[in-house]
Amino acid sequence: MLDEHLLSVVTLAPGAAALLLGLLPGRWERAHRWLAFAVSLAVFALSLLLWTGFDPDVAGFQIATERVPWIPQYGISFHLGIDGISLLLVLLTTLLVPVVILASWRSIDHHVKGFHISLLLLTTGMIGAFVALDLFLFYVFWELMLIPMYFIIGVWGGPRRIYAAVKFVIFTMVGSLLMLVAILYLAYYHHQLTGLWSYDYLDLLTTGPQLPLAGFWSPQMLVFAAFGLAFAIKVPMFPFHTWLPDAHVEAPTGGSIILAGVLLKLGTYGFIRFNRALFPLAWERAVPALMVLAVIGILYGAWVALVQPDIKKLVAYSSVSHLGFVMLGLAAGTAASTSGAVLQMVNHGLSTGALFLLVGVIYERRHTRLIADYGGIASVVPVYTGLFLLVTLASIGLPGLNGFVGEFLILAGTWSRSPVAVAFAALGIIFGAVYMLWMVQRVFWNPLTQEANTTIKDMSFRELVAVAPLVVFIIWIGVHPTTFLEPMEAAVRALLAR
Amino acid sequence: MPTSHDLIAVAPEIILTAAAGLLLVLEAISPKVRRLAPPLAMLAVAAAAWMRIDHALPGDVWSGMLRIDRVAAFVDLYILVAVFLVVWMAAPFLRRTGTEHGEFYSLLLLAAVGAMIMASATDALPVFLGLELLSLPLYVLNAFLRRVPVSIEAGVKYFVVGAFASAFVVYGFALLYGATATTNLLEMGRVIAGSGDISPLVAVGLAMVVGGFGFKLALFPFHGWAPDVYQGGPTPVTAFLSVVPKGAALVVVLRIVDAADLLQVSHRWYVAAAILAVGSQVMGNVVAIVQRDLKRMLAYSGIAHMGYAMVAVIVAGSGGPAAREAGAAVLVYLAAYTLMNVGAFATVALFSEQESEPHLISDLAGQGWTRPLPALALAVCLFSLAGIPPFFGFTGKFVVFRAAVDHGFVWLAVVGVLNSLVSAFYYLRVVYVMYMQPLPRRVPAFASGASLSVVAALSALGVVVLGVYPAPILTAAARAILDLVG
Repeated sequence: MLDEHLLSVVTLAPGAAALLLGLLPGRWERAHRWLAFAVSLAVFALSLLLWTGFDPDVAGFQIATERVPWIPQYGISFHLGIDGISLLLVLLTTLLVPVVILASWRSIDHHVKGFHISLLLLTTGMIGAFVALDLFLFYVFWELMLIPMYFIIGVWGGPRRIYAAVKFVIFTMVGSLLMLVAILYLAYYHHQLTGLWSYDYLDLLTTGPQLPLAGFWSPQMLVFAAFGLAFAIKVPMFPFHTWLPDAHVEAPTGGSIILAGVLLKLGTYGFIRFNRALFPLAWERAVPALMVLAVIGILYGAWVALVQPDIKKLVAYSSVSHLGFVMLGLAAGTAASTSGAVLQMVNHGLSTGALFLLVGVIYERRHTRLIADYGGIASVVPVYTGLFLLVTLASIGLPGLNGFVGEFLILAGTWSRSPVAVAFAALGIIFGAVYMLWMVQRVFWNPLTQEANTTIKDMSFRELVAVAPLVVFIIWIGVHPTTFLEPMEAAVRALLAR
Repeated sequence: MPTSHDLIAVAPEIILTAAAGLLLVLEAISPKVRRLAPPLAMLAVAAAAWMRIDHALPGDVWSGMLRIDRVAAFVDLYILVAVFLVVWMAAPFLRRTGTEHGEFYSLLLLAAVGAMIMASATDALPVFLGLELLSLPLYVLNAFLRRVPVSIEAGVKYFVVGAFASAFVVYGFALLYGATATTNLLEMGRVIAGSGDISPLVAVGLAMVVGGFGFKLALFPFHGWAPDVYQGGPTPVTAFLSVVPKGAALVVVLRIVDAADLLQVSHRWYVAAAILAVGSQVMGNVVAIVQRDLKRMLAYSGIAHMGYAMVAVIVAGSGGPAAREAGAAVLVYLAAYTLMNVGAFATVALFSEQESEPHLISDLAGQGWTRPLPALALAVCLFSLAGIPPFFGFTGKFVVFRAAVDHGFVWLAVVGVLNSLVSAFYYLRVVYVMYMQPLPRRVPAFASGASLSVVAALSALGVVVLGVYPAPILTAAARAILDLVG
């Protein structure tokens, strides 16, 4: 039997460890790194217990905590739980955090203590947002991510880090503050219906669909829009994506991995958990708009990525394109497309996380990310080249690797809903192959012209250890996706039945 | 004749007044006993707080002039907490500025007594008495650094504006008395509510009273004095000024609004109060963005925060459950605002070189890493002011906006959150200066003072603890407001 506190421990342990780091003197840099690394590994190990203890036949939430009253007079409680969808995302998060710490071992060389405190607080915020079953609690975790990420971009970032950090915060807050009003309204309406105050997800699940839905300016549409805006900014969906390239380019490598790997997923997760589940009727009305925006995102992201001279910015725009696929799969709303979308969230976290990690590796050596500064380095760094190529192929959807499974399921599932969207999205896959492979060709295979590139060192042991788990999962999902599709099946079916 | 019951009821006020007198005498006997002044004052404040907590609340006393109910006790307690912290942080500040005089503490205690009387007053007369007792010491205290011109300017400005405000209040009460034939606020409210409409006389009277208190609250459009006075006054006084008079004035307004069920009686009140609330938020937040001086920025932020609090005051005018929820929200908001503002000003006092110099935000560059504790305290207070969870300021905003949404004022909540967004911009700018800019070549020689750091740390800790676990204070506020709304 699973200990009922397991989920609370996984969620809160990183935050507690952050407080502990706060007590240690800042000059013990090695202690901070090792302690943070050990904690993140322990949390990953504990989250594996979540996986092994998970019952794939149960559609609802499991391994849940009791509702611990937090602000009882308002019906706010500390209530956590996971279903098949959040399980995968929690695992992705706990997997990426130790990777981030390893990837930052050398590149974060000042205020080491502050970096690891921020990262651990951020981890609690991310896991908490995935597992919170109380909307107030969800909001607190959601906002808890804001300040650490602001610091990670702003303190350890590149030259335009301040602009990027402020832009990130302001964009995120626009959405989340309106979402707060929507949450308040939802709880108010629940009180109108039942006479009870509750912010609990399971209670509000029955209230959401009952919000009046006459006309465009009806409460349900407005509340839906408020939630949707918060998540659309986070995803980011076109046209709310402009903060993303700035944040990615300026963030340190570790920040980019977390941002692409987990933070963006919170947007798509929010769409599933709140917009889709709480307001199925409003969702149905919004599907055409969501599909159009998703397809625009796919194509626009790909086109803009094509012309980027900076590798990191190219990967950032590729995220806009990839997340467009996820949104398309969610909007189509068939079993296959939804499962594919959830799997693609994980896939994107793995492959884009790995890409950012590898871009960071070469940046540490050459201090440039411009494609034009490289060329022909395949012979200089063969191991690095091999890994980069593998991850690139995963990202563009080569069969046998993870990206293919997700994209295939999304497109196959969307076909019955809208063949036109599938046609455009397939075009996006082609563009994706073009911009990625063209970049790889220019970086690794063109003639070796620059003197500085002849002496680049290949991957170090630490870097190999950091990237290895990502590669393992990339191949695992590609070869045997059932391992990962099975746990979410019941949850997806329950979601679509709403 | 006052009975012994009446005297016991105001024992905390008596203790503070006696202590104020004692401090003056001590100062006259020998300057050497000066060092005893702060601990004595803190002891008096603690004793007053203990009297308020420990003794049963007497309710209506002094022939119905004062009502010492749970609302009054709630407000008294945070006034006392604020005074306690201000006294604590004042000692090193006064030593550094060479103005170590016992009168400082004596005046501070008297001002606190005035605020406490306002908080429990149910009659126009004690309201006015309290208002004057609160204001007169503050005129002196703002000009306490008598060698610093901006301090003198602050004192004079606050005096001129304060005199106007008092005149407004008195004249307004006179008109209301003319219209309702009573000086009792609750009776006044009942007459207004009973008449079902607002006569021109009542309208003008109310407008003048609310306007007068609007000056004290630094609400738009009565806010003009605040930035200059905040900037010039001694920082501990600014901390006091930014929280205590506002709390006292807001409670008086809340009592009037609630007794008269103003929202139901008059649409004009709704429009006017909404202009005050929204105008304060927009004006405060937008102008704060361009401030380069930390104290001025906090002045504008204070204007905005009273705008948020006014949202709850508006809702409280609906009577019934709305008044209960919104009234409690006002109390919680004030408590949050007090704690984070005192903490912020304590760090301002730490991050300052010369009182005659402006407290430039840019001077804080790099301080996040060189003086981590005060910087962290300031950052926490600023995040809290911005309304970011899990800090107490978020709880305050949450209850205010919740009250608005629950009772049909969704638009006020939306305006409020959008303003919070604007405010995040300037609060976070201070954080980025502290943590993301390198130390300047000439590092400012900032003050030090253990008690300043302690006050800052305690306030920040309170902001965190009450933010993470707000249930007790929410319960206390909800219970307290029952005495006001019934």
